[in-house]
Amino acid sequence: MLEIKNLHVKLEDEDKVILKGLTLTVPKGEVHAIMGPNGSGKSTLAYVLAGRDGYEVTEGDILWNGESILEMEPDERAAKGVFLAFQYPMEIPGVAGLTFLRTAANAVRKKRDEAELTTPEFMKVVKEKAAKLNIDFEMLKRPVNVGFSGGEKKRSEILQMAMLEPSLCVLDETDSGLDIDALKVVSDGVNALRGPDRAMLVITHYQRLLNHIVPDKVHVLADGRIQKTGGKELAHELEASGYAGYTGKAA
Amino acid sequence: MTVQMLNTKAEQAILKTFEDNAARLPGGTALQELRRAAIGAFASKGLPSRRVEEFKYTDLKAGLKDAFPLAKGGADGKADDIIRSALGALLGAEVETSLIAFADGRGLSAKGEASFLAEALKTPPAWISSLMADESLNASADLLVNSALFTDGALIDVAADAAPEHPLVIVSAAGDRETEAFVALRHVIRVGKGAKVTLVEFDTIGRDSARQSSAVTQIEIGDGAEVHHIKVVAARKGSSHLGHWQVALGANATYRPFQLTVGEGLVRNGLNIAFNGQHSTFDFGAASIVHGQGHADSTLVIEHKVPHCTSRELFKTVLDGQARGVFQGKVIVLPDAQKTDGKQMAQALMLSPDAEFDSKPELEIYADDVACGHGSTAAEIDPDLVFYCTSRGIPKAVARTLLIESFIGEAIDKIEHDGLREAIGAIARDSLAV
Repeated sequence: MLEIKNLHVKLEDEDKVILKGLTLTVPKGEVHAIMGPNGSGKSTLAYVLAGRDGYEVTEGDILWNGESILEMEPDERAAKGVFLAFQYPMEIPGVAGLTFLRTAANAVRKKRDEAELTTPEFMKVVKEKAAKLNIDFEMLKRPVNVGFSGGEKKRSEILQMAMLEPSLCVLDETDSGLDIDALKVVSDGVNALRGPDRAMLVITHYQRLLNHIVPDKVHVLADGRIQKTGGKELAHELEASGYAGYTGKAA
Repeated sequence: MTVQMLNTKAEQAILKTFEDNAARLPGGTALQELRRAAIGAFASKGLPSRRVEEFKYTDLKAGLKDAFPLAKGGADGKADDIIRSALGALLGAEVETSLIAFADGRGLSAKGEASFLAEALKTPPAWISSLMADESLNASADLLVNSALFTDGALIDVAADAAPEHPLVIVSAAGDRETEAFVALRHVIRVGKGAKVTLVEFDTIGRDSARQSSAVTQIEIGDGAEVHHIKVVAARKGSSHLGHWQVALGANATYRPFQLTVGEGLVRNGLNIAFNGQHSTFDFGAASIVHGQGHADSTLVIEHKVPHCTSRELFKTVLDGQARGVFQGKVIVLPDAQKTDGKQMAQALMLSPDAEFDSKPELEIYADDVACGHGSTAAEIDPDLVFYCTSRGIPKAVARTLLIESFIGEAIDKIEHDGLREAIGAIARDSLAV
């Protein structure tokens, strides 16, 4: 279970406060959506969960399975099952996709006290999972994300997620830059990972993604706090009325 | 001799080294005269300071505090052991080679196509004599010292259309007799028309001895020939290596050099290449990984004399501690060299705020229909990329290594020979782990 308690976050180098007392609980087996206008703190929440530098937690805590993750390095969090699918996946020139996947998969397996994958085992798993996501295997021999289209980058993120078998998946604006076909493939990939032992937090500006990844709950994040929580129908309400009621201004 | 004009200890020592050893250096009367002329020119020039443009970032006058005595050479131990320790990585990759080895400037063993230059100089064929008299090698003090003092070197003459099965490897190892010594080798290589050959120079310095080494390689590449040429210099702290390649390229020929420099010593590798025939290609990759107070300088002069030739350079430098990296690349396109296609890129990865990278690409273009470009970057490891890797469970230190290796890897990938690429990659990775 993910428990975010009264989380206050500011930028390390500036006085700008972004999250102002965010409280949220995502039980295992559930998919929660966080919707909110631009600038409401959605991406900050995603980065703070993953452990990116540059943010300072001034108050509150984040517990994953009862344990605070705030002091953990990003790789320790990954080993504990935390995975962030980036809004803008990064390009790594010179590192082949397969090398990256294997290094990552075996790093987390090692930390989880699981046997590392041998080359044949790894190749078999990665081929299977790539095929399901319509990822051309040849693409994985190229440097990570270099020259990939927006859709290819997002599918590559979901493949990394599938390979690392996280128990907490945070998807940051996974629908941005996707056409309708790519959206379907990515959503199918995410849905395939839904399960009783996995919690998911889907961060999105638009309701569109939630037609494909149907959430158990929807939270509205505005001005650094959860303003409202409801069922999946809340997403439809937001689509119709916008975020104006939450920010006091048209979004 | 104008000794009184010189004032550094190193310069005085070099002159004395020559006087003490001149009579024993190989070569007949003609070569002895050339050696005297070279040391004479050195005596009036002295070691270059930063006021000499080509040595602006590698001030040898200040950098070489003293000159070690000329190595007596040879080894007491088993030649095999010395070669083995110098060649570890290459042997690890199980690359089959034809080997010629030197211990502190003296021939140790040779098999395959290579033989000892000192032996050939007793009755040198005309082509070797003419290479010895190459005026262009009198251009700078480091070359003059080599001309005056070289004790031996590899002689490789690849026949037209020949394609030796294994890479020809020249090993210059430190022997076990001396703790401080100066070593000078001159390699002479001729590659016949249509031949295809892979050359490797290994200059390694023993773990507990300091060396000042000088190695000049002259290569004539015939029409249609293809030459892959790799050099590895590992220089420990307190040691220096001054290398130079002088290359003449025929028509429709291909020359693909690669240089790896690692360690904490003072290294300068010069390369002058002249395109003498049309439709030839020069494709250079280099990687330097320098720690501590190490200094690695790559200085190139590429002379396009004829039309339709292509030159490419990719230089990667990783600098840690207070290390300094230097890249100087001058591309000269003479009036006749229309349709020249030249591109160079020098990139440095700065692992420490105290490291310094000096990059000076130069284009001198006298023809009007050419495509030439250059670029240069210096950057730290991108923290965003480190975060991306760590968010995937890769520990920070592993992520940094992965990113540094990928940076260097782009240049190493230019090596065509699988085993050598693997061996060079292993040496580079080992030096990153320091």
